Amino acid sequence: MPIYEQTYRRHEARGPLRRVRFWPITREALRLILARRWFLALLAAAGLPFVVQVIRIYVVTRFPQANQFLPVDGRLFGELLAWQALFTMFITIFGGAGLVANDLRTGAILVYLSRPLTRRDYVIGKLGVLLALNLAVTLLPGLMLYLVALSLAPDLFWKWSLAWIAPAVVAQSLAISIVMSLVALAVSSLSRSARVAGLGFFGLLIGLEVARGILYALYRRPETALLSLQADLRSLGVALFGLTERAVTLPWAYAAAMLVTVSIACLLILRSRVRAVEIVQ
Amino acid sequence: MGGMAEAPLVEFKDLCVSYGPVQALSGVSGAFLPGPTGLLGPNGAGKTTLLKTLLGFLEPERGSLSAFGLDPVRQPLEVRRRIGYMPEVDCHLPGMTAAAFVAFAGELSGMPRDEAVSRAHEVLYYVGLGEARYRTVDTYSTGMKQRVKLAQALVHDPDLLLLDEPTNGLDPAGREEMLALVRDVSDRRQMSLILCSHLLRDVEQVCENVIVFNLGRVAASGRIADLTGPRRSVYDVRVKGDPAAFLTDLKDHGCEWREGRTAREAGVQVRFLRPGAETLEDVFLRALGHEAEG
Repeated sequence: MPIYEQTYRRHEARGPLRRVRFWPITREALRLILARRWFLALLAAAGLPFVVQVIRIYVVTRFPQANQFLPVDGRLFGELLAWQALFTMFITIFGGAGLVANDLRTGAILVYLSRPLTRRDYVIGKLGVLLALNLAVTLLPGLMLYLVALSLAPDLFWKWSLAWIAPAVVAQSLAISIVMSLVALAVSSLSRSARVAGLGFFGLLIGLEVARGILYALYRRPETALLSLQADLRSLGVALFGLTERAVTLPWAYAAAMLVTVSIACLLILRSRVRAVEIVQ
Repeated sequence: MGGMAEAPLVEFKDLCVSYGPVQALSGVSGAFLPGPTGLLGPNGAGKTTLLKTLLGFLEPERGSLSAFGLDPVRQPLEVRRRIGYMPEVDCHLPGMTAAAFVAFAGELSGMPRDEAVSRAHEVLYYVGLGEARYRTVDTYSTGMKQRVKLAQALVHDPDLLLLDEPTNGLDPAGREEMLALVRDVSDRRQMSLILCSHLLRDVEQVCENVIVFNLGRVAASGRIADLTGPRRSVYDVRVKGDPAAFLTDLKDHGCEWREGRTAREAGVQVRFLRPGAETLEDVFLRALGHEAEG
């Protein structure tokens, strides 16, 4: 454009309202997060358990007697996802703590909500960021490991009786990613500081897990698992992959009900906190 | 612009809005005509509340509000896509350059990405940030941040621009530049705008119409020219010499000027004579229940 035309001109091309309005929010936030090198390093580190499990499968295919002390079956995937759940905690803290808190601090929430967007679009857009990151370290390595297992050890995995592995990986990955993402967003919306929100999220997960451990040590009751999100997720893993964990013998339905309750509570927090106008009663 | 026959862009009738127990707007009625309109009032008068209700952020308890014939409560997205909002508070996305931020704002308004990017560059040049558009907004001065806020409000070419205290925190030069930009958008680009401010001079410089708010009510409204026009029965008179006798004579004559004889008889020279004009400040103070000083 020539310099003499560099002035305000009307822009008449106004199209219909978009159907998928949350996508620019997700894309831009992901772009900003993935621009940080240390975050990419964290994502790369999250791939280590996958590599370890691939090596394990390879070793068993080369030395079948290793299957005695390195069993390769459906539990392999449960163990992988248990490790990945730990990484989702760090990825959620560093990638998600500021998602809403920063918008509240800098007033950017007004930029979003004064546009043709609903509060639901905003929350879905922000949730999409964490879901994409968390699924990238749970669902992606889980399914890739299944493909690797099928190709490296078809005699062990290419069985109708093990066809449940892929749906189980999808279910457990979704449970981990959705719960972690919703809790992180809700905590983020409760503060105007990303740092405080990150510490809050970390404290919530670790604090509840410590409390569960203490109560379990004192009373040896499986219901204590209800206190901790990680224990609830592990309970699901036990049920889905046949894992054995002494501390968690809670029926999966209880754990699932707890996780659903927590998710609904997080949505209610987001509904009350994500507003263009803060009403102080 | 601003013709009386034109249909109002925004109309509100008996509008009541409250923040919990605090009543912010108490049964206000009025209309914003096309063209620049000032929304005047002291802090806490209800100006920003009206803008936020117009954007659909707040739901009225009673009364009606329509923008472009649409109801902001039922059709908020349709209303917001036709409005550009420059908030009073600071707003930016940390870590984003001005170009990326304004393009992102355009995309959020429904523009395709390529168009939003190209338009963001144009608008940033227009507001005077062409050279600084690849710097992150966090590093900008207050004046630059105000310009970015204006750019993000303009990027999708709204039908109505809502400017909430656009000169907040600006030095006199920055303030003049911002007002010049706003005037240009309104006068040369034919964009309607609502300028919400507690600064009379800002409104006087830019707007044709004004609505004065006080304590959640409309205290005065109309064309600034009509509200501040000359008062036919009042004249400003400046004299040289002793004015006491002159004033006595004027009083004796019922304040009427009779072919200059009074001045001549009192032995004074009339140096200045014009019809007394009411300023916006007079209108504002009267609307607020105060008398203008001096």
